[in-house]
Amino acid sequence: MVIPWELLVIQLLNGVIIGMILALVASGLTLIFGIMDVVNFAHGELYMLGAYMGTTVMLTTGNFWLALGGSALTIAALGAVVQVTALRPLLGRDPLTTILATFGISLVLQNYALWQYGPVARKIDEPFTGQFALFHLQFPWYRVVIALLSAAIILALWLFMKYGKYGIWIRATTQDRVMAAAMGIPVPLVYTMVFAIGSAMAAASGVLYAPLVGINHAMGLDVILRAFIVVVVGGMGNLAGSVLAAIFISLLEALASLWVSPAQAVIVSFIVLILTLLIRPTGLFVPTPK
Amino acid sequence: MAERWQDEPWARDMWWSGKTTRRRVLGLSASAAGALGATMLVPAPWRAAFGQAKPYKIGTLQPLSGTAAAGGKTALVGTQMAVERINGSGGINGRPIELIVGDYESKPDVGRRRAEKLAVEDQVDLHQGGFLSNVCIACMPVWEEHKIVNMIGVCLDTTITTSKCSRYSFRPFDYAPAQAVAFAPFLVSQLGKKWHIAFYDYAWGQSTRDAYVEQIKKAGGEIVGTTGIPLGTADFTPFLSKISGSFDGLFGIFFGPGGVAFGNQTYDLGLSKKYKIAGDGAIAESTNLPALGEKIEGFHGINRYVPVLDPPLNTPHHKKFFETAKAALKKIDPSGPLPDRYVQSNYEAMNFVKLGIQKSGFQGRKDSMKLIEALEGMEVKESEDFPQGDKTLRKEDHQAFIREFIFQIKGGKHQIVNVIPKEKTIFPPACKFA
Repeated sequence: MVIPWELLVIQLLNGVIIGMILALVASGLTLIFGIMDVVNFAHGELYMLGAYMGTTVMLTTGNFWLALGGSALTIAALGAVVQVTALRPLLGRDPLTTILATFGISLVLQNYALWQYGPVARKIDEPFTGQFALFHLQFPWYRVVIALLSAAIILALWLFMKYGKYGIWIRATTQDRVMAAAMGIPVPLVYTMVFAIGSAMAAASGVLYAPLVGINHAMGLDVILRAFIVVVVGGMGNLAGSVLAAIFISLLEALASLWVSPAQAVIVSFIVLILTLLIRPTGLFVPTPK
Repeated sequence: MAERWQDEPWARDMWWSGKTTRRRVLGLSASAAGALGATMLVPAPWRAAFGQAKPYKIGTLQPLSGTAAAGGKTALVGTQMAVERINGSGGINGRPIELIVGDYESKPDVGRRRAEKLAVEDQVDLHQGGFLSNVCIACMPVWEEHKIVNMIGVCLDTTITTSKCSRYSFRPFDYAPAQAVAFAPFLVSQLGKKWHIAFYDYAWGQSTRDAYVEQIKKAGGEIVGTTGIPLGTADFTPFLSKISGSFDGLFGIFFGPGGVAFGNQTYDLGLSKKYKIAGDGAIAESTNLPALGEKIEGFHGINRYVPVLDPPLNTPHHKKFFETAKAALKKIDPSGPLPDRYVQSNYEAMNFVKLGIQKSGFQGRKDSMKLIEALEGMEVKESEDFPQGDKTLRKEDHQAFIREFIFQIKGGKHQIVNVIPKEKTIFPPACKFA
């Protein structure tokens, strides 16, 4: 079947944009895993609560950018509280306990959102509504901006990790927890900080994505599975790998949908996951260990 | 007052001063157990009015957590409204209803287990509820095995009253073939002949797609293509982007978050400027409208219920239902949503149960067949019990036929464009009871 090149271009653009949004969600997840060895099943709910918090700030201020910042800060604080109260006591225990704890937290947060905000779907208005002509479509500029903003946030995180004082603390803790503590780095505080940063990134992606998909208490479930696939394919704890994997998987799905049905296209990401686990379990985008 | 609570006299006496003796702990435990027991013994509100009358135990399974919880919560409001009204007006044959609520977490396996529990442990007399079609289908054999009448509240999958029909299950509201019979002539004559259908790619979406393909063709229209989108997809853009070509309208079959994504993204991609956008009424359900905003303006849909007080829904019965439902929904959502079809159909389903029990003299599960026979072919008129309108519960397949509302969204609100009487929604039965 011959596919018109216009459709290929559209799907390439869709793949990159959705990949960048997914990368933002997954980068928080991979950061938390890479440093704390915690598989955070509540990440999707932090994304969802971030979006809800965005509606609250938006209602109060009417400003999208304040909603984005305010939501990220609030959910960062919530993340810190969750880490101190529920995860810190489990440090050093079997990883299964933290998985169960975060799963429990996800259920609590999901039901809290339903109780607090009710069943009506909410929305955050995008800050601007312009479109540009893209073959047979009118493509919204906002989608392009989200991709660029996601890239900027991930880049800022990378710069912080590379050059920031606290970023260096975080990397030192990742490399050798005991030695970092011996050198005077407050390891428990670093963990709390990492969880807060991961939570803030989840919240920011929730606010950015909300104008496109609406807000409901179960919205975290839609993205978390894909985010986990991205993290595994990109290499657990590997930030750059997650970004590449997110774009790779989104592109594959978008392009596959040109030849097969959307339901079959979605299976592509699961096939990639299985192949990764079979052939290269450390992740597709991690350098081969020497 | 002491600065620290530990220094308060009561705290010192009870705990902080180290006076915690075994006797004290036992005493406190006994008091706590007594208080808990006393709470459990406080009679349910209906007990005072009904004395020793044995209640009808009615189970209701709803998704109160998980992905479908938002709809499940509003569905439960409808059931509870009907039960409160029935108990407040003397019950059924002098007996109150005791409602036993089960949450199936939006999962079919959990639903089946909860259904078993209602049947075996709770010994319910009958069941009224069900929201997700796959859960309804998973539970139907349980109701049949235990000879429990199942009055469905929301499940829309066509096969429930066709290939998978059961003598014990009733659907007292519409289904896709009837909606398609009612809507297709309007779509073809008023909006355009050529249609592309986008649908949720699972049981309900597929059966609804098939119904519209058949009826649009029958009405003289043409289907140029279909696009199935998997359940749980947050962003439809890669799939909607593929839709192009020369046709008149894009027809959507989605509900809940899928409806929000469809409405928002057809607008964002400029499809709503290029094509007429129409679809199942669930896309523009009142609980979705705040998330759709002005992007859903001009959408044409069909629904069994629209939350307006315009003719023919300007009756005192409907006004009363509308206000009561609005107040009840305000309790579960601070934004105060308007009632939706889930509230309406569960409310009316419970009232069908009431009429059936009254007509058959049903006392308990042993009388299930009497109740079934009383419900089969039942005709009801627009009333406080049935504010949506007249209904026929067809004997051959236990499928109801009701009037349908074709609406358009204008100014962010539903506006009735056409009312299709129930006689014009009839679709032949395709059920053979085992």
